Amino acid sequence: MLVGKIDRVGRIRTLHGDMGVWHKYTFGLAGERFFRALAEKGVLLATRCETCRKTYLPPKIYCPTCFAELTVWVELPPRGYVETYTFLYEDLEENRLTEPVAVAFVTFPGVEGGIIHRLGEVRPEEVCSGLEVEAVLAAERSGGLQDILYFRPSRE
Amino acid sequence: MRERVAIVGVGYTSFRPLSPEVSFREMVFEAACRAYADAGLEPDRVGTFVAVSEDYLEGTSIFDEYVPDQLGAVLKPVQTICQDGITAIASAYLQLATGLFEVALVEGHAKASNVLYPAHIEAFAMDPVFVRPLGLNPRFVAGLEMRSFLAQTGNTEEQVALVVAKNKANALKNPLAAYPALVTAEDVLASRPVATPVKELDIAPFADGAVVLILARESVARTLKSQPVYIRGIGWMQDTPNLDQRDWSQASYAELAGRMAYRQAGIRDPKEEICFAEVDDTFSYKELQHIEALGLARCGEAGVLLSEGYFLPDGPLPVNVSGGSLGNGYLYDASGLRSVLEVVLQLRGQAGERQLPDVRVGLAQSWRGIPTASGGVIILSNE
Repeated sequence: MLVGKIDRVGRIRTLHGDMGVWHKYTFGLAGERFFRALAEKGVLLATRCETCRKTYLPPKIYCPTCFAELTVWVELPPRGYVETYTFLYEDLEENRLTEPVAVAFVTFPGVEGGIIHRLGEVRPEEVCSGLEVEAVLAAERSGGLQDILYFRPSRE
Repeated sequence: MRERVAIVGVGYTSFRPLSPEVSFREMVFEAACRAYADAGLEPDRVGTFVAVSEDYLEGTSIFDEYVPDQLGAVLKPVQTICQDGITAIASAYLQLATGLFEVALVEGHAKASNVLYPAHIEAFAMDPVFVRPLGLNPRFVAGLEMRSFLAQTGNTEEQVALVVAKNKANALKNPLAAYPALVTAEDVLASRPVATPVKELDIAPFADGAVVLILARESVARTLKSQPVYIRGIGWMQDTPNLDQRDWSQASYAELAGRMAYRQAGIRDPKEEICFAEVDDTFSYKELQHIEALGLARCGEAGVLLSEGYFLPDGPLPVNVSGGSLGNGYLYDASGLRSVLEVVLQLRGQAGERQLPDVRVGLAQSWRGIPTASGGVIILSNE
């Protein structure tokens, strides 16, 4: 027990540390195929459950609805839609960002799920739910989420 | 018929923005001592211990090994639940229901002031392939969800701001609360945007504190000095971890956990049969979302009812009379236990200045926080 008043909080002993968590994460069968197609062909793939008549993005090899194994792969249409969005003003250390990041959940017609990503090449006042968007891909692609730079309003 | 289970002891610290002089284990020790004194029993009467926590938050891995000492649980059956607080109560409840144990203890705590970058820990919980590489502060999830919830239900940003005003004002009558205040909906709407439409005052600030609950089978509860508060129903539910597969407007986990608890409690019309509720309000919009998911208001009606005073302490169905997490502070997984604590105090008639008159049945609901869609519901009664 502390007896007596603490008048200088800075003198209370605390230990400062950090936790490095270096690790690997295997993309898996579905992730491997999705990102290979993205890197090599610049397309987005999904898997389909014929029993549930549902198409899943990101693709999985199992149906979360009926638990069947999924083997049917389909290519997504090039355009999606903003389902919901936010302007984010803080980074991971809770520093205020000078320019907020526009983040959207992008869905595709007839597809369960979607992709969460940044929006770019768009004025803040243009952003709305239902906005038609297309993925802007990196010229050099290595097979990862970073191959999509951002989504922008689609151009006719 | 299965023997009933009651909460027979509660212990807690006050909830504070900082607790510079005590370690988390010492906070738990304080709460545990009070719970034992409240129940009128010694640690050796407890057959099984359940803690709730998450790795990384205490600055260690394999956190669960740090549980026993400060609870009087060394060389006793101990388990740590990596979920929200009410799910931990469910585990203790089930262990008592088996007949294997007579008395169980549940512990939860938060030493949030020791977590230097909470957003990094939440970000590390995101899908490593499809979400984490974006490197975003996870509060974006709340922004996406609040916008979708408002659009789908017709509740408004102004009504959500009223949640903050209500809960922080309620906390003025709660001596344990860390963040009581008189703020107006206008103050909330004018606060800085964090992840639009979520603003700074819409977010429950972190607090430090500990809550310990002691549970017993009814035959034992009747021999103890404290007034037993019976668990009439308990439910817990976990939605998909995938943000991309989730319903962005509904709290399905709360709806289904609620149904599970209502079924056990024989509750058909929660809006009429529940006297008061403590629901998760980690973000202000979550309170309205959870109220609707629990059937305490119809879909799209929670905001209107709130603005009419329906959920105020003197309204027909008080919600978060304790001040909720917005008023008390967010206690990580102990937040659900803090909600249960309030329900117990109210049902015992020990809630002091904020005591609700004639309450018989109360509900507490918890959410595990970003990025989860998981949580629990418990229904308690003093009868």
